Amino acid sequence: MDVLSRIPQLLTYGLISGCILSLGGIGVSLTYSILGFSNFAHGDFMALGAYIALALLPAIAWLGIPAASLGPLSFGWDWILAVLLAAMLSSACVVLLDRLLFRQLRSAHRITLMISTVGVALALRNLIQFIWGPQPQTYASAIQKAIRIERLGIRIKPDQIFIILVALTLATALHLFLRYTKIGKAMRATSDNPSLARVCGIKTERVILWTWIIGASLATVAGALAGIENKFITPELGWQMLLSIFAAVILGGIGNPYGAIVGGLVVGISEEVSTAFISTGYKPAVAFVILILMLLIRPTGLLGRKS
Amino acid sequence: MSRLTASGLVSGYEDMMILHGVSVIVEDGEIVTIIGPNGAGKSTLMKTLFGLLPAIEGSIRFGDLDTTALPPDRLVRLGFAYVPQVANVFPSLTVRENLELGGFVLRENLSRRFDRVFDLFPALRTRKRTRVGNMSGGERQMVAMGRALMLDPRLLMLDEPTAALAPNLAAEIFEQIMAINERGISVLIVEQNAKESLRLSDRGYVLAGGCNRFDGAGMELLENEDIGKLYLGG
Repeated sequence: MDVLSRIPQLLTYGLISGCILSLGGIGVSLTYSILGFSNFAHGDFMALGAYIALALLPAIAWLGIPAASLGPLSFGWDWILAVLLAAMLSSACVVLLDRLLFRQLRSAHRITLMISTVGVALALRNLIQFIWGPQPQTYASAIQKAIRIERLGIRIKPDQIFIILVALTLATALHLFLRYTKIGKAMRATSDNPSLARVCGIKTERVILWTWIIGASLATVAGALAGIENKFITPELGWQMLLSIFAAVILGGIGNPYGAIVGGLVVGISEEVSTAFISTGYKPAVAFVILILMLLIRPTGLLGRKS
Repeated sequence: MSRLTASGLVSGYEDMMILHGVSVIVEDGEIVTIIGPNGAGKSTLMKTLFGLLPAIEGSIRFGDLDTTALPPDRLVRLGFAYVPQVANVFPSLTVRENLELGGFVLRENLSRRFDRVFDLFPALRTRKRTRVGNMSGGERQMVAMGRALMLDPRLLMLDEPTAALAPNLAAEIFEQIMAINERGISVLIVEQNAKESLRLSDRGYVLAGGCNRFDGAGMELLENEDIGKLYLGG
């Protein structure tokens, strides 16, 4: 098969992995814009959420919710319920972590905070490995037949269509939340001008709470979707994606959640399409190249504000 | 009754106190201007009054309430509005959103309050959906004051409202300050370029080195030769 005829299929794969990167990137970007530091533990929040969902599956089966697959998908209502509950539980864990650690460092230098997130990343990943073990685990093992779309020259599995739809829905929901709800406006205001937000009577700690809840929830969904796409989850699941996520966030303009979505799609697609021309082994390097080029050419990102 | 009574305020930053016992009174319905050279502690005084910096000593009363240790979100509810000198708008938000955030603590429908602000600043009415970051300095100052007025405050504190503006725009802002005051809102202004501000003020204070130096009626300070030489540029 010649190189060009593979492009539509690679674009499709890129779109799917881009959706997962975008969901992860939104949290990184929001944390940066509200709390002012780069959260290197965000990848491990994704793994945490994915594993909590895994742990909830037996409990949900015990409650009598059938594990039957949902139409052509490889998973059922039980998995969807597990992910929703896992999003809440991992939000609670992250908020607790904020209370115990990050809150004590609120006025610390951003470098101190960044390094503390590296510590959290290591601790969390090893905790996950300690509880669930290092071996890959699966949500469901149903085999799926890909749908062939001849006109576009692509094959796509029902699960992958589901991933795209979930990402689209959540991105729209986030947009509506930021644009029209009171707390969403308070978040944008705090990101724009934190001291003026306080002058308006906005409680910063409340905004921070919501930032963690949204970031951790989207990270859980991203981690669980990565588990569906890769067919397994490991404790390194999020850590392995972190470089691509940071490349995506910086590409889009760090601090801008819309930028994270655009950046995630661009990085995901670039990584996949690159495999048509260079060895798959260089895929992670593509994110690096994007990161370096962006920092050299336009450090504020595609949608970043000039300041 | 005094709208605002601050007495003996000592305040500043961790290792450096800037105010060494400053007292200021604003009566109901008054315009009061605080002048003084750079570093006199004018902005620090504003931040302390508004609860953004803790008062180490001294007390602040708002009407008949002791507000010395209250945080900004409580003061805002009491009718205390503050427009900082710089970064006093949300640049990536629209005019309408900026005003809406001014009324953030209210649970009511804001449409009447929007109307009142647009009556005062008609130029903003047609630009509701414009991002404030794309507006001129004078327009931004109007948005900043409009934001503060959304709460229908009883006291409006303005930190150098005309600092970066051309003279004709500054005159317009001063006219608007008088219009705001005519609605019964007390106004406390900090100005480095103080002549115009003192002219429209009922009273004024001169601050230097973190202490009160002079106070008196606005015109009295304007005509005082010493103050003129030292603080008003001759």
